Amino acid sequence: MSYLLEQVLNGLSYGLVLSLIAAGFAIVFTSTGVLNFAHGSIVLLGAYLVAVLHDSIGFWPAVLVGLAGAALVGVAINAVLVRNLADKKPDTAAILMLGVDIVLLTELTRRIGNQVLTLGAPWGASVVRFGDVSLPTGRVLAAGVTVVAFGALWYLFSRTDLGVGMRAAAADGPTASLMGIRLSRTAATGWALAGVLAAVAGIFLTSFPAPGVAPTVALSAFAAIPAWVLGGFDSVPGAVIGGLLIGLTSALVTGYESDLEPFLGSGFGEVAPYVVMIVVLLVRPSGLLGSKEAVRV
Amino acid sequence: MSAPLLSVEHLDVVYDGTITALSDVSLTVAPGQVVAVLGSNGAGKTSLLRAVSRSLQPYGGAVTGGTITFAGQDLAGADAADVVRRGLVQVPEGRRIFRDLTVAENLRAGGYTVRDKAARAEACDRVFDLFPILAERRDQPGGLLSGGQQQMLAMGRALMASPQLLLLDEPSLGLAPLLVDQIGEIVTEINRQGTAVLLIEQNAVMGLRVAHAASVLEIGRVTASGTADELAASDDVQERYLGVAVPVVATEVVESEPAIPTAEPPQRLRVEGLTVRFGGITALSEVSFTVEPGTVHALIGPNGAGKSTLVNVLGGTYRATEGAVHYGDAELTALRPDRVAGLGVARTFQNISLALEDTVEDNLLVGRHRLMRRGLVPGMLRLPGARREEREHRETVGGIAEMLGIAHLLRTPVHTLAYGDRKRVEMGRALAARPSLLLLDEPVAGMTHGESQEMAETIRQVRRDLGLSIVLVEHDMPFVMGLAEQVTVLDFGKKIAEGTPAAVQRDPEVLRAYLGAAAA
Amino acid sequence: MSDLPRRISGLVLLLVALALPLVMSDFWLQTGLFVMATAIGAVGLTLLVGVAGQLSLGHAAFAAIGAYVFAWSTGESTTSVSGLGLPPVLGLVLAAVVSAGVGAAFSPIAGRLRGIYLGLATLGLVFVVRHLLVNLDQWTGGFVGRSVEPFAVLGFSFSNRDPDYLAIAGVEFSGLHRLWYLFLLLAVVAIWLASNLRAGRTGRAWANVRDSETAAAAMGIGVAGAKRSAFVVSSAYAGVAGAMLALAYGRVAPDVFSLTASVDFLVMIVLGGLGSVAGAVVGAVFVTSLPLVLAQYSSALPFLAAPGSGGLDPSTAARIVYGLAIIAVLVFLRGGLAGAARRLRARLRPTPAVGQPAVAAPSRSKETTR
Repeated sequence: MSYLLEQVLNGLSYGLVLSLIAAGFAIVFTSTGVLNFAHGSIVLLGAYLVAVLHDSIGFWPAVLVGLAGAALVGVAINAVLVRNLADKKPDTAAILMLGVDIVLLTELTRRIGNQVLTLGAPWGASVVRFGDVSLPTGRVLAAGVTVVAFGALWYLFSRTDLGVGMRAAAADGPTASLMGIRLSRTAATGWALAGVLAAVAGIFLTSFPAPGVAPTVALSAFAAIPAWVLGGFDSVPGAVIGGLLIGLTSALVTGYESDLEPFLGSGFGEVAPYVVMIVVLLVRPSGLLGSKEAVRV
Repeated sequence: MSAPLLSVEHLDVVYDGTITALSDVSLTVAPGQVVAVLGSNGAGKTSLLRAVSRSLQPYGGAVTGGTITFAGQDLAGADAADVVRRGLVQVPEGRRIFRDLTVAENLRAGGYTVRDKAARAEACDRVFDLFPILAERRDQPGGLLSGGQQQMLAMGRALMASPQLLLLDEPSLGLAPLLVDQIGEIVTEINRQGTAVLLIEQNAVMGLRVAHAASVLEIGRVTASGTADELAASDDVQERYLGVAVPVVATEVVESEPAIPTAEPPQRLRVEGLTVRFGGITALSEVSFTVEPGTVHALIGPNGAGKSTLVNVLGGTYRATEGAVHYGDAELTALRPDRVAGLGVARTFQNISLALEDTVEDNLLVGRHRLMRRGLVPGMLRLPGARREEREHRETVGGIAEMLGIAHLLRTPVHTLAYGDRKRVEMGRALAARPSLLLLDEPVAGMTHGESQEMAETIRQVRRDLGLSIVLVEHDMPFVMGLAEQVTVLDFGKKIAEGTPAAVQRDPEVLRAYLGAAAA
Repeated sequence: MSDLPRRISGLVLLLVALALPLVMSDFWLQTGLFVMATAIGAVGLTLLVGVAGQLSLGHAAFAAIGAYVFAWSTGESTTSVSGLGLPPVLGLVLAAVVSAGVGAAFSPIAGRLRGIYLGLATLGLVFVVRHLLVNLDQWTGGFVGRSVEPFAVLGFSFSNRDPDYLAIAGVEFSGLHRLWYLFLLLAVVAIWLASNLRAGRTGRAWANVRDSETAAAAMGIGVAGAKRSAFVVSSAYAGVAGAMLALAYGRVAPDVFSLTASVDFLVMIVLGGLGSVAGAVVGAVFVTSLPLVLAQYSSALPFLAAPGSGGLDPSTAARIVYGLAIIAVLVFLRGGLAGAARRLRARLRPTPAVGQPAVAAPSRSKETTR
């Protein structure tokens, strides 16, 4: 019983981290219509900056640099590349981001090389016990930070001018600009937010129980794509629900792999999110909480 | 007279580098004045507003000549957000409220540029004063409001920025006459409180009633301007926009043999009790009429009357909620659009829908798709049958181009063509499908008077030579008068009149729909 | 006519391709094989994405199916993997047919989704197929994959055996030479078929579905059918390309057909210009040969370091160049290389005068219809 509980709690905390990444996909998509295939590299970039800087400037300052760096790179990608696309179609932007991802990921991979960089997180490999269930402190912390982050996002989007302006711009950009809302500014804010969320996720994905910063972390962003799709393309609350569902699914499928293997084969935990995603796209193309894609004649 | 608040001089606007929307347009608005710009669909009214509010760019447009001065400052180089901060705010056509945001959030977005809390609260009070219903429904999503309330929200949202000049784009569009009058009173009240207004209207009666001065825009040029009273008295404006004394050219009913014997003979088209709802909005409500084989049947009505919805149901693009459409023995409402096309129903689109990168010839050949039989594999292998078929259809298409006067353009990519030629190519593509029923959705929108006369001649010729039925959707009443045998008039999704052009033109319901409550 | 220069240049290219093996080293022959295999895949993808407008990130999955069907149907059964031992020609046909069938099975999904939504669904397909390749190990050989029988027709083998020694005009034709001509034949046929398809009725129908499904349907084009046929044709191309890759490597393994391979195919057609068959081929030449050539000549290039030394090794350099090429083409070259070529031709050739620009409002001003 406690094994099941441990798997569930692990899945939920992993799911919350995924939902940070998924929310980044949703925010960039609603504010600029871009499917950000370079999001994984930004996750990795945030963690990488912390890993290389914590020795010299300390962990917490390094975290600040990591968050700021990820945000800045996002803003720069949007300002320098996305806004200057010769052909402003969503498909083209998605392919552009594949190109950006290749460049960023290749360069980060080269810098990391064969080493596994440690993050130097103060919580180290400690474990928190609840009765007979034990969880890594990093996972517990991740859950707490994620909840706080989503609270802050809720406040931003419903209680501040900037947030309401961003929602207006996402709903109807040309009309929002008639209200004096600068679309370049709301877009930059969206990319910056996504970058910060990505870096936070990166830090938790590379601290214990993960061994450290390795290029494979960028692939976790791909695991967040099903979470994003599941929640609906334009919904932040949807991203949370999607993240939790995908986190639970992979944790349970991986946790009970030995029982499932005869039917599903080994390593099904990695594929399960994508299977779920394809099914959701078929049954409910707008996801669980997304608004319907309007088709205009 | 004091210095003008807004002054537009010799303005030229071009879209996509090729399509001219405005040329040499000049206009002034004095402080505290209401100025109306009148004109029909495609006259360039919206382009004028977009040029003033600096929002052309997202639509592919650009100012290529002339100046716009607001409060003594040249707006060249300013962007949409700048002009709002200078006190110039536009209410877009079709309201465009943020449907998922609450009423309060919509207003908050409108006051985005106002940093001072007290000023914002004051503006908000003023808006709630003008529109008490918005205060009542402040926590509901904007999408739940009715059409008239949405128009109020759109205006209130703009007033949150306390503009010196308010730009209103077709505020009466799709509203019932009573509501139109109400909106007119609100515009007068907003003006009385000190805000100048530039009002774009198709509804000339409403426009001239609230305005001090007005200009008439036709195909991108100002053709008349003066005080509202002068214009209301001018014969030209009376004839064209107030619907007074339009001469009716009698149409002779031609009983002709089809010139292309292979075309299937046209069938009777029966529309019975057709209702279409989108979500909560009823776009069409129990519309019935019949199109006799081989006739031209016009569907007219003001913007938002449901004409385009009806064409989209006839073509199979939209599903009917209730009722049915029969073409001969076939029930069109039960068929997919490509099956409808397979029965010999071809159409054109209000917003031209051509493959822009392809040549005129290739676009016309798409019309032949349903008549060509060779599939994927013979086409890939270039089997003799497929090559012969391709050659034959190219010849046919050449003949159609000849008839429409675009034969010299066959090898030209469509994106380099002028607007009028594109309309002809689309007509040619529909004719290439050898239809027995042709649906024309606003075939002359945006054309000059001369061009639309030519198009009318083409439509007559097509009917005479090809012996097919034509359903003609038009906004422009005088255009259909000389062309159609039967006219059905729609307003707010309901049929309000039917008959010969001459009878329909005298119908009091029709006059009211077109000219507002005051005219009846 | 305007076709003539194109035909002449095509003929010249063909003659060059025929003559090249006589002078090239084994490295270049091997590179050429990979280029021709991926070019066929890219041509198939540009029909799907460029012409029919269906974004697919799953092309590698279809190529994988082709490769494994070929390897399994032509291979012999051993203790670890099973095989049918069919003639390779039949295996090639089977690879195309099975891939096309899976494409047809996937097309109902494509019928429901558009744009990036479809891209994401096809992305999922790559992971699902990879999972199957790893787990169905009695057919696929699992992680390590399985070896591929050399191609042979009527006892003539496209390897170094049967006949052991073949020479024409004093030039020895080894397995690589023989495969080169086989691949060239397949590539020429594939390109010819795709060009015909693009120019004819089906190509026009696909392009109209891409531009506006509503308008296409109003012209009598069955939208779902057009999408299905595009998926089927493109999957068949991917299947053949996969089988050719299997032949060129002499082995199949799941890693060859990862998401990266899908992205590579997509990049080829974007660089070349979406919808352009010639562009897809040029894109394949660039994307496929760049890493191989950089690796081969890294010692001659001063700025490249040896792999593993932490410096800029050839494969890293190739990937960065290639990522930058994607960015540069999308930001600066509208329509890719093919678009640039078209504009260049238009500038060199005086265009016939087109009627005066009419004064009219653009269609976009009427966007607010319900």
